[in-house]
Amino acid sequence: MIVVDNVTKYYEGRPVLENVSVEIPEGTNLGVIGPGGCGKSLLLKIICGLVKPDKGTVEIDGVDVHKLKPTELADLRFRIGMLFQNYALFDFMNVADNIAFPLRQAGETDEDEIGRRVQEMLDAIDLPNIGHQYGRELSGGMKKRVSFARAVIRRPPIIFYDDPTAGLDPVTSSKIFLLLRDIRDNYGTTSITISHDIEGIKEICDNFAMFERGRLVFHGTRAEIEETEIKIVRQFWDGFSDDELNV
Amino acid sequence: MSTSPSDTLDDGSHEAPAEAGFFARMLTSVGQPIVELYGIGKGIMEMFFLTFYYLIRGRKRWSAIFEQMHEIGNRSVVFIAFTLGFLGMILIYQASFQAMKITGDLQLLGALFMQLLWREFAPTITALMLATRVGTGMAAQLGSMVVTEQVDALKMCAAQPVEYLVVPRFIASVVMTVVLTLFAVLVSYLAGAVTANVMFNVNYLTFFNFSFVSWFDLIIGLVKALAYGTAIPVISCYAGFAVHGGSAGVGRATTQAVVYASLAVVVLDFLISGVGFIYLIFLA
Amino acid sequence: MAQLKTVIESPLSAIGDRFLQWSAEVGGMVVLIGQIFVRLNPFKLDGPETWRNMYRIGVKSFPIILVTALLTGAIMVIQSGTYIQQYGAYGLLGWGAGYSVLREVGPILIGLMFSGRVGANNTAELGTMKVTDQIDALRALAIDPLGYLVVPRFYAMILMMFLLVVVGDFTALLGGAVTSQYMLGVDMELFAWSIVTYIKLEDLFHGLFKSIAFGFAIAVISCHFGMSTSGGAVGVGRAVNASVVGSAIAIFVIDFIFTYTFL
Repeated sequence: MIVVDNVTKYYEGRPVLENVSVEIPEGTNLGVIGPGGCGKSLLLKIICGLVKPDKGTVEIDGVDVHKLKPTELADLRFRIGMLFQNYALFDFMNVADNIAFPLRQAGETDEDEIGRRVQEMLDAIDLPNIGHQYGRELSGGMKKRVSFARAVIRRPPIIFYDDPTAGLDPVTSSKIFLLLRDIRDNYGTTSITISHDIEGIKEICDNFAMFERGRLVFHGTRAEIEETEIKIVRQFWDGFSDDELNV
Repeated sequence: MSTSPSDTLDDGSHEAPAEAGFFARMLTSVGQPIVELYGIGKGIMEMFFLTFYYLIRGRKRWSAIFEQMHEIGNRSVVFIAFTLGFLGMILIYQASFQAMKITGDLQLLGALFMQLLWREFAPTITALMLATRVGTGMAAQLGSMVVTEQVDALKMCAAQPVEYLVVPRFIASVVMTVVLTLFAVLVSYLAGAVTANVMFNVNYLTFFNFSFVSWFDLIIGLVKALAYGTAIPVISCYAGFAVHGGSAGVGRATTQAVVYASLAVVVLDFLISGVGFIYLIFLA
Repeated sequence: MAQLKTVIESPLSAIGDRFLQWSAEVGGMVVLIGQIFVRLNPFKLDGPETWRNMYRIGVKSFPIILVTALLTGAIMVIQSGTYIQQYGAYGLLGWGAGYSVLREVGPILIGLMFSGRVGANNTAELGTMKVTDQIDALRALAIDPLGYLVVPRFYAMILMMFLLVVVGDFTALLGGAVTSQYMLGVDMELFAWSIVTYIKLEDLFHGLFKSIAFGFAIAVISCHFGMSTSGGAVGVGRAVNASVVGSAIAIFVIDFIFTYTFL
């Protein structure tokens, strides 16, 4: 269970995130939507401890993330998988080593076992033959899929997806969301997904949160968001503006 | 000390500052660098201690260490050979010219040159060259990784960036700085010998005189090389990790790395030379 | 047989490649020099922009250069110190330290620091502007990037390098004097007398002309690599690297040419 309590973060005097409180029960999938640049990615980084909030706390399974020592933080990170918006593939190693990296970090030394699991992942993301290639040789969609493989190879109980389909064509996007659905159906993970792809998010998430200018303007179930009267949320959810935009 | 691209498109029209404003600006221009310097100094010391911690306690990845040694050593050889070769020629040329005018005797030229090379020029100039080449390289590499979120990704895969990235570079740098210093002595000395022979007709046998060089000189040279080899990677990696702001940030970081690393070399040179001198005069 | 061919070929082709690469860079620099001088006639210089650059360079580099100069003077005195002590030639300390500082060590060390502080910064700025398309934006606004950006920096850097060496030389001698008094016990007056008696004006000018040449080289090299940057943030890092490496090599080569020609 992830508990975000009153998190606030300033950047150059302005609040980028303001009094954000949200609870994500275990096994549920939260979809996060909102206009670009309103702090969604930053919130994700604060939750996994990469960035410290100026106010407020984040607790994962009862443990305050920002009070942990480096070794404890590392242990926590073994339980979280993160798909970065810009892939963040290590450019000094090939695809196979990228995907194998979390395994090696966890202490796995059996190279055959590592090879087997990496190939398993490569097959799952439908790119069975690119293990020896480097990130710069791949297309955006392929890099996203490799990044996904790296994030989930250890079957972490918590997964964060930061804009998994940004800049991808419709076919590749649906492939990615299929993978996300697969994980959700088979592993009972707790997840947070940030996306502008409303159709995709509708499929895989149970609860939704919408941010606008660093504030939480909606948090509820799918049923609630379908019925909501809040204008901004309606515009985003339905995908068109019938009159002036409120953002 | 930080600039942004928009800074350079400033059309330069500002209001004329009032008297008080000017004075305040003067104070700020003196005080601010000091505050900044303190922050940077603290950061560098932190990086140094972290590096040492992981050096002792962390896992060593030999493949990464060798890769870095190749990057620092093999790829700097030509550069060092070039610059120190020229330096050797310049120094011998100057020294011979002056010696000819004063004493006309170039007997001890080779001996003196060897001593100075070991004590001062080889370690220091090599380190300055490495600070430029390797310092910018490391800062740029790590800075790019910060900008593309690879450092965050490392953390999310439960790896420690300092242990994974800095320690191999640190080990490689210390080793290679010493090795390249030895190489520099060789190249510079040979270049000097050739210059002395071709320009001033000094016999090679006369030139190759190592009698002046004592254990003291060798130790001083080695200590300097080790100190420089430690300072350069710590400062450059710190600058790389402190990047923020895209390509402008990477540019800033590489500049900072080369400047502070070079400054550190000069300061360490002064300190070690000073200590060595005091030892020689008062204790030996 | 094919294997033998590659074994011989690959290092040769690597060297050949390298050589062609460097030739291309040098060629680019020559073109840049030409382009700068074309803008000398008629003499179009963006005065305010040049002043601004001089101010920024000065503010950025004075403290560091002065500290370097002070320490350099001190180091030269310490290094000469052992020999002076051995032979009791206290009257030659000023000359020894002064000669090397004014002619060689001063310009070279200040040149290296300048290349690091100002040259690298220059390349970084121009490089960032290039990869964020600001240079193209200037062209689209009918502003000549070379005239607006490069030429003012070029003159500013040469002028500042010269000024910095003038001040730096003096500071280095000061550092040397202080060190000689407090570490060697050689009176500052003796030190100063030694300098004034044995150092000729020609020694000073030798160093100053060198510094102008260094400034010229650093300016051209840093602007060249800055304006030809490509490849995003990584490209900027690479450009800065090339700029400082190239400047360092240029400093030593120019120094040798000067030393050989003017001794």
